[in-house]
Parts: sequence; C-alpha cells; structure tokens
Amino acid sequence: MASAYLTHQQKVLRLYKKSLRHLESWCIFRDKYRFYACMLRARFDDNKNEKDMVKATMMLKAGEEEFWANQHPQPYIFPDSPGGTSYERYECYKVPEWVLDHWHPSEKAMYPDYFSKREQWKKLRLQSWDKEVAQLEAETSAGGVRTEALPPARKEGDLPPLWWQFVTRPRERPT
Amino acid sequence: MHLTPLIMSSSLIIMLITLFLPILSTLSPSPLKAQWALLSVKTAVKLAFFFSLLPLFLFLDQGAETVVSTWNWMNTLAFNITISFKFDLYSCVFIPVALYVTWSILEFASWYMHSDPYMNRFFKYLLIFLMAMIILVTANNLFQLFIGWEGVGIMSFLLIGWWYGRADANTAALQAVVYNRVGDIGLILAMAWIATKMHSWEINQIFILSKDLDVTLPLIGLILAATGKSAQFGLHPWLPSAMEGPTPVSALLHSSTMVVAGIFLLIRLSPMMENNSTALTICLCLGALTTLFTATCALTQNDIKKIVAFSTSSQLGLMMVTIGLNQPQLAFLHICTHAFFKAMLFLCSGSIIHSLNDEQDIRKMGGMHHLAPFTSSCLTIGSLALTGTPFLAGFFSKDAIIEALNSSYLNAWALILTLLATSFTAIYSLRVVYFVTMHHPRFNAFSPINENNTAVINPIKRLAWGSLIAGLLITSNLLPLNTPVMTMHPLLKLAALLVTVLGLITALELASLTSKQFKVYPQQTFHHFSNMLGFYPHIIHRFMPKMNLMLGQAIATQTVDQTWLEKTGPKAICSLNIPMASTVSNVQQGSVKVYLSLFFFTTILALVILLI
Repeated sequence: MASAYLTHQQKVLRLYKKSLRHLESWCIFRDKYRFYACMLRARFDDNKNEKDMVKATMMLKAGEEEFWANQHPQPYIFPDSPGGTSYERYECYKVPEWVLDHWHPSEKAMYPDYFSKREQWKKLRLQSWDKEVAQLEAETSAGGVRTEALPPARKEGDLPPLWWQFVTRPRERPT
Repeated sequence: MHLTPLIMSSSLIIMLITLFLPILSTLSPSPLKAQWALLSVKTAVKLAFFFSLLPLFLFLDQGAETVVSTWNWMNTLAFNITISFKFDLYSCVFIPVALYVTWSILEFASWYMHSDPYMNRFFKYLLIFLMAMIILVTANNLFQLFIGWEGVGIMSFLLIGWWYGRADANTAALQAVVYNRVGDIGLILAMAWIATKMHSWEINQIFILSKDLDVTLPLIGLILAATGKSAQFGLHPWLPSAMEGPTPVSALLHSSTMVVAGIFLLIRLSPMMENNSTALTICLCLGALTTLFTATCALTQNDIKKIVAFSTSSQLGLMMVTIGLNQPQLAFLHICTHAFFKAMLFLCSGSIIHSLNDEQDIRKMGGMHHLAPFTSSCLTIGSLALTGTPFLAGFFSKDAIIEALNSSYLNAWALILTLLATSFTAIYSLRVVYFVTMHHPRFNAFSPINENNTAVINPIKRLAWGSLIAGLLITSNLLPLNTPVMTMHPLLKLAALLVTVLGLITALELASLTSKQFKVYPQQTFHHFSNMLGFYPHIIHRFMPKMNLMLGQAIATQTVDQTWLEKTGPKAICSLNIPMASTVSNVQQGSVKVYLSLFFFTTILALVILLI
C-alpha cells in the first residue's frame, strides 16, 4: 500500500536509477557506459547486505551528495517525458468531445453514420449514469478515494463507471 | 526607349503581388483546400523567386537600381512619409536568396508538417513573415522598415509558439518578444532622434544630413536594435529558446532571414556609421564578444537544434564584427552565403529528427551515414561550408572577413576572440557530424528510416548546390565598395584556415577520447559554464523581474506611502502642526490679569514715547 513516506529500499533504488541515467548522459558510447554502469552496480551490491539502518542511511546520504556533485547539467530526457522536446506538444490539438455538438450541420453531414450513432451513445450515457455513480459510491472506502484507478462493471449488463470520459478521450498524437 | 526601369519595376511589383495573392485567398469564407498549402503557397514563392531573378540580372548587367515611390502616407509641412521601395544591391541580391531558401523550406515543411491539422495556417504564417521580411529589406524609409521589423517580430512570436499547448514554447515565444522589444526601444529612439533633427525618415536624406550632425546617439540606438533582433551578447538568450518552434520555422526565421534583419539595418544605414568611430568600435567589440561567447556555449550542447542555433548566433556576431570593420558589403555577402548552408543544416537536422521519431539529442543518434546517406552528406557539406572550407560558400565571406580583420589596425583583442571563435566553430561542427553520422546507432530502430520522399531530398539538394556555388557566384559578380587589402603576410592570409584546421584536429582528438575508457566526465567548471550557457539566462531571467518587482515595491511603499503621504504630505503637515499647536497652547498659563496689565502698561508707554 502506498503512503506518503518512501522506504529505504525505494530511496536506494531511485538513487541507483537516476545515477544510471546521468551516467548514460555522460558516457555517450554504449560500451563505455556499460563498463561504468557495472562499476556502479558493484558499488551498490557491495553494501546491499548492510543490516545497520543508521549506517545504511548515512551511506545513502553520502551517495546522494556524490550524485549531486557529479550530475550532468543537461541529462538525457526522453522526448515524450516531462521536460523533453515533444512533451505536451500536441496538447493544443486535444479538443474535448462536446465540441462535436457545435459543428455546423453541413460538417456533420460529412459523417452521417457517426453522428447518428452518437445520439444513441448519448442516450446510453444518460441511462447508465445513475448506475455508475451508485457503483462508485458503493465501492469507495470510508476514508475517501485513494487512487485514480476505476473499478470494472460488476453486474451483468452494466457499463464500467465513467466509461464516457474514457471512450471520448482525445488521441495522444493527432496523426 | 529604356526598357530597363520598366522591366525592373514591373517584375518587382509582380513578385510582390504573387506573394500577396495566397494571403488574399485566405480571406474568403469558404474553407481552403487540403492541398492549398502545397499548391498555392509554395508555387507562389517559386514563381516569385523566378520573377525576382529578372531585376537581379538587370542589376548585375547594367547596375540598374530602382526606387519606387508610390502612395503618400503623410504630408505635413516639414515631414513626408511615402510608401517607397528601394531596390539597390542589397535588396536585389537578398530577395532572390531569401525566396530560394523559403521555397526549399516550404517544400520541406509540406513533408515535416503533413500530419499537422493546421498546416494551411502554418504556411499562411510563413508567407506573412516572408512579406514582412521583404517589406523590411526593400524599405526606403525608416517607417516602412519599422513596419517590416515589427511584422517579423510578431510572426516570430506566432510561429515559435506554434505548439501552444507546450509551456516551454509559450515561454520561448514570450522571451523572443520581450528581448526584441528591448531592441526596438533603440530603433524607436533612433527614429525619434532622426525625425526631430533631420525632419525626414527617407534614407537618402538621412545620409546627406548625417554628414553635418553628430549621429552617435541614433547609431547607439540602431546598434541596440540590432543587438535585440540579431541576438548579440546581452539580448541573445531568445535565439536558442526559439528552437521550441517547428524545424521549418527555425530554418527560415532563426537562421536565414529574421535574425539577419538587425545586421541588415546596420548595413542599410552604414553610410551613417562610416565616420563614427565610437559606433564602429562598439560594433566590433560587441560582435567579437558575441561570436566567442555563443561559440563557447555551442561546444557542449547536446540538442542538435540548439547547437545550430548557437552557431547562427556566432555567425551573427561575425557579421557584427564585419560592420565594425566598416565593411558592410562583406557582412552582406556573409548574410547571403550563411542563409544557404544554415538553412540546409536545419533541414538536415529536421529530416534526422523526424526519422528518429522526434529524437533531438545527439547522444541518442549515430550511424546516420548508413541509414540516411544523402542527409548526412549534406550535413557534412553544410558544416564544411560553415567552417569556411576553401571554395565552398562560407569561405568567400568568412575568409574575407578574417583577412580584413587581420589587416586592419583595429582592436587586436577582437581579432583574437574572432579567431578563437572560428576554431570553436570547427570543433562544434565536427562534434555534430561525429555524433550524428558516425559509428553505430545509439537509438532503437522503430520505423524504417528512408530518404525516398522527394519533398525532403529536393530542397536539401537545392540548398546543397547553393552552399557549394553561391559564394563563388556572388563574389564573382559583385564589385566590392572598399578595396580589399591584397598583400599580407602568408600567416595572416592563412590565419582562418590554420585555426580551423587546429580546431578540427583538437575536436577529433576530443571526440575519440569520448569513446575511450578514461574519465566519466570532463573538467566540471568549464563544461558547466559552457553547458549552462554561461549562466546568463539563469541570472538575467531571475534578476530582471526581481529588480522590477522590487522597484514596484519600493515605489508603492517608500515613494508613495512613506514619502508622499508621510514625509511630505498630509501626515507631515500633521506632525509639524501638532507640536506647534500644543506648544503654543501649553505656554498659555491662564493669568489674564498679568497679561492685561502688561498690555495697558506697554500701550501707555508707547503713547508717551510717541507724544514726546
């Protein structure tokens, strides 16, 4: 169960992963990177069986300081990751689905089968909304919502809760 | 009958109308065809290019220059503004170059942006930008130039922020506008000074009158304008940030055309600057500082577009150095040759980026000479032209500039900085070519990479031809205004080539070190200075807003509240009057009989003295 505090294992693993990523930014060629990555892994593996948590925390602190001193100023970030070159690039093309209702009839006439089905889908949405809300209220624990994960439909003939938001979500890339 | 003026004016007006017609067609309410961008805009620019060759050939053959003055905007007693176009050497040569480069870029953009839902709008923006640039270049008065100047600034803002869903793109667009605005203050200052002292904004009149007046102040204003627009040191951070825009935008605006507008302004008004040594020295030193600083920043960048952006900034510094040497024609030559190879470098980068699914980091490229041989060859040709390889395009302009710098008796410090920047150019060019094209790929192979699309290959091919022969063509057809120094020590003559070769060898050595098992990272101080762009953006982008906010706070609290209200205003009156009133009222002891008897006594005394 996730909580607000990170365990020691999580902190060590996060340090290891970001050290590897910054090492990758420094060592451009793969064989050189592999050599230094193995050295780094060996340094972590030497101390993995430390039972004294005080000493382990001090080592982690020293490791974080060493990381801070040796980090790359422009680490490699994947293009679609936050901070990357094409992150959020296509947000301006992601239009909500209610815009379709505002199309001119001549534009709607270009896609007749979609728009005729759309009216049926909207009726279905109205019908199933109460059942979706009831299911969500029944399944939410007393302390409030913990995650963004939605449960599937439990009864026969029901639709999953908040299915409309999922079905009508915009495309990731407008291609 | 002399047909030359007729042909010249007609072909120029036809060229302007050809460019304007697609924009007019967007004003109709019916939606544009899907192929409008390709069919209408690209064809218009291609036609305009061929039309503009006619005045160019007339100019080369007969030296024909035209000034076309049409509509009277404003006619007051002392001040007239008309719409007038000047087609002299600079306009007649620059317009075909700009149109050729734009034609190639538009064809490339039809492939690069083909999945964009608003491609027609993109092409419209590019065309409006081109029109504004041509207005700027052909302006015969400062007002028209200012219209073009602001026009290119606005279109730059709209195009950098094309993907406005991205926060970084919006920041970059705003940065471009704010930095250009600081430069515009200089231009407006110069225009105001010229309007009050010379009573005209016509360029010819300014030249005649500037011989008698001390024009240092407007020249400093113009240099500030060029600093803003052409990304000289101090107002340079917007140019690398402008790489947030799509690659065709970077290729057209931020390498070939818009950023040279500042230098073009100084070239256009160079007769004003000829005799003013203060302005020339400022240009020389500013240009030298810019070229070295931005070349240093380019050495350790990892984003391919940022490296090319810094290289553009460095070449702009070199153009500023040339103006400081009082060689505006050489600066113009460098503008024209630079447009070809820089646009080609951007198009090759764009092609590689698109093939690798938007990967822009050179640490994750490699092996492109197997996968995209034509693109990587053109990247190499562009880099060689940039470094000034003998007899490619860049050689004729760059080598001539460095020879002029070597044989002038001006600032030796500027000379050293420029030579150092030339060697750095070789270093970062080799770095790009090494990491992009050589060795094995460092990326995962998703979609198959091919060069089968003619919309990509033909523009790059055209620009490659330009990079190879444009320098030779332009130098062999244009007479220099200033006689170049022909005899010099062989070491001075070969200085540029020597430092370039030295830089190349150093870069090869350093590049081969990256693949060996030495240290993980280089000397941190220099690497961090270069990688973080000299920390200039970090300092300035926090310092200036903080200063402005503190000034606002000081005005609100100290000036308004403390000074005007407390120390000099109503509260001060209170604090002065209350002690006086309380003192006076406290002095009153209430002994009326004593006061009355004293009063009568002094009155009788006065009467006695009067009567006596």
